[in-house]
Amino acid sequence: MSTQSDLAQSVIDGDWDAAAALAQAAADAVKDPQVIIFDVLQPAMEEVGRRFSEGEFFLPDMLAAGRAMTAALQVLQPLLGNSAVSKLGLVLIGTVEGDVHEIGKSMVSMFLKGSGFEVIDLGVDVHPETFVDAVKTHQPDILGLSALLTTTMPHLGKTIGALQDAGLRTQVKVVIGGAPVTQPYADMIGADGYAADAGAAASLCKRLVSCE
Amino acid sequence: MTKKMELLAACHGKHLDKVPYGPRIDLWYNYHNAHGTLPERYQGWSMIDILRDLGVGGQKRHYSVVKEEIHGIEVEETHDPPYTRTTYTTPYGTVTSTLLFNPFEGAWIGYESEKLFKSDKDYDAIRCVIEHITPVPDPAYEHACEEVGEDGLVMSGIRGWSAPQRVMREIMGYEMFFYELMDHPKQVEELIEVMKELDRKKLQLVLDTDIELVNVCGNWSDDIHTPVFRKYFIPWFKEVNAVLHAHDKLSMAHIDGENRRLLPLLRETDIDVWEAWTPYPMTKDTTAQLREAVGPQGVIWGGIPSILFDDPTTDEEFDDFIVNTLFKEAAPGYNFIIGMGDNLPFDGKLERVQRVAQLIEEHGTLPIDG
Repeated sequence: MSTQSDLAQSVIDGDWDAAAALAQAAADAVKDPQVIIFDVLQPAMEEVGRRFSEGEFFLPDMLAAGRAMTAALQVLQPLLGNSAVSKLGLVLIGTVEGDVHEIGKSMVSMFLKGSGFEVIDLGVDVHPETFVDAVKTHQPDILGLSALLTTTMPHLGKTIGALQDAGLRTQVKVVIGGAPVTQPYADMIGADGYAADAGAAASLCKRLVSCE
Repeated sequence: MTKKMELLAACHGKHLDKVPYGPRIDLWYNYHNAHGTLPERYQGWSMIDILRDLGVGGQKRHYSVVKEEIHGIEVEETHDPPYTRTTYTTPYGTVTSTLLFNPFEGAWIGYESEKLFKSDKDYDAIRCVIEHITPVPDPAYEHACEEVGEDGLVMSGIRGWSAPQRVMREIMGYEMFFYELMDHPKQVEELIEVMKELDRKKLQLVLDTDIELVNVCGNWSDDIHTPVFRKYFIPWFKEVNAVLHAHDKLSMAHIDGENRRLLPLLRETDIDVWEAWTPYPMTKDTTAQLREAVGPQGVIWGGIPSILFDDPTTDEEFDDFIVNTLFKEAAPGYNFIIGMGDNLPFDGKLERVQRVAQLIEEHGTLPIDG
């Protein structure tokens, strides 16, 4: 196997020590380290997401893969010099008001970064006004909202309403997710998309930015 | 037969005339009671009285029949509603957690917005905190039973989550737990063992109460991770159930999450009742699939996804789900208690709670045709 395919496999396997070592070796063999990010690491994370969606990988597998990806990126980042890795877009993400669950949001965040998005994580228990202020400040392409409870689901719609009231609704795509959330619910509250898991979220966000 | 007797009879696998119904409406009730928006007819009523008026035998949640008292270490609590910050000072260091509880949200318990565990430096301090906990009987449990009487069931147990899940979810959070299991597995396992020792003491107190159905764990989902479930959860549940069953008590698990990957393991736990079952479309699995997983002897309590109690589900769609999906998948209907997965949402339609009882009257005579 080549160094690049070994690197991809180390990410899929969640072997972060190997990922760091192989990232260095792979970067030494190419002129532009960005190639490693776009052609090796991001497809590896997409494979991880696919395996999770299909029931082959579990949550710890994704965490380990994310850690391996981060280890590889930490090696490559200094080698990029003045050239910034071009980003697909900016995503703001947060768990809605009254909800402190973050594992799903963290997974989505990891996959979005792995897919080439810049991500700003607003944390948990984020009130609609805070989302609105963040959208005004950062002007993201996508706003990701997470709600894990039926008690907090209504805050998804309230946040979208707050964007509407602030005159910002048309300036950002809103994607929602979380255990009780469904596509019909997303349609009902006027979200631009719904994702069932982190892998699906990354694919959806790519489609949304490519349609802009 | 009283409503309480019906529910317990079903839990014991006894065959009744109609499929029993054990709805849960505390989320709806707490929210509207806090906001002053209960229906005019029910202004000032208790939740149990509302359920009585609807003619249904519901459930009242009570966190635990056992309270935890801490002795021998310094504990400081500061309140900044809706947050309560608790700091424990031990010879091994200081650890802090923050609980978020907003009654206006409708929830009946709080959530840890700040977990006790921050890094591997905290293991000894947290172990020390747990070792200084003394469980004592909670008199509030008896008051709850008096309030409900024979009109429903007080759902309570050892504590919300089992020992392994308490470490995983309450003390560390899922993400931290899995990272720590990768980096410091021995310390994680030691912490789980210390928590199990505490729960063993609590279990002895539970045996001294008249509680018949004991909640041994809650909020299951695939996030627990199958290998972790197999290694840490199953042996613990087998131990707990051996004790409970030897004292003629039944066990219950609150399984309202996405459980597809855990389904094949459920029977190994020896748990008796699977409560808050939440099928498709809120999860990937159907009631028929759960029945296959828990076998004919397992008691299923739930089956109505909570989102169906509100728009955009129409009344016709609601009836159709109950009669043509739920009843058909529950058929013949033995070892089954109809209920919500897991609660009536705060914007849910109370009239649909009563509608389920009407549909049971019309179509729920046992055995139900499949």
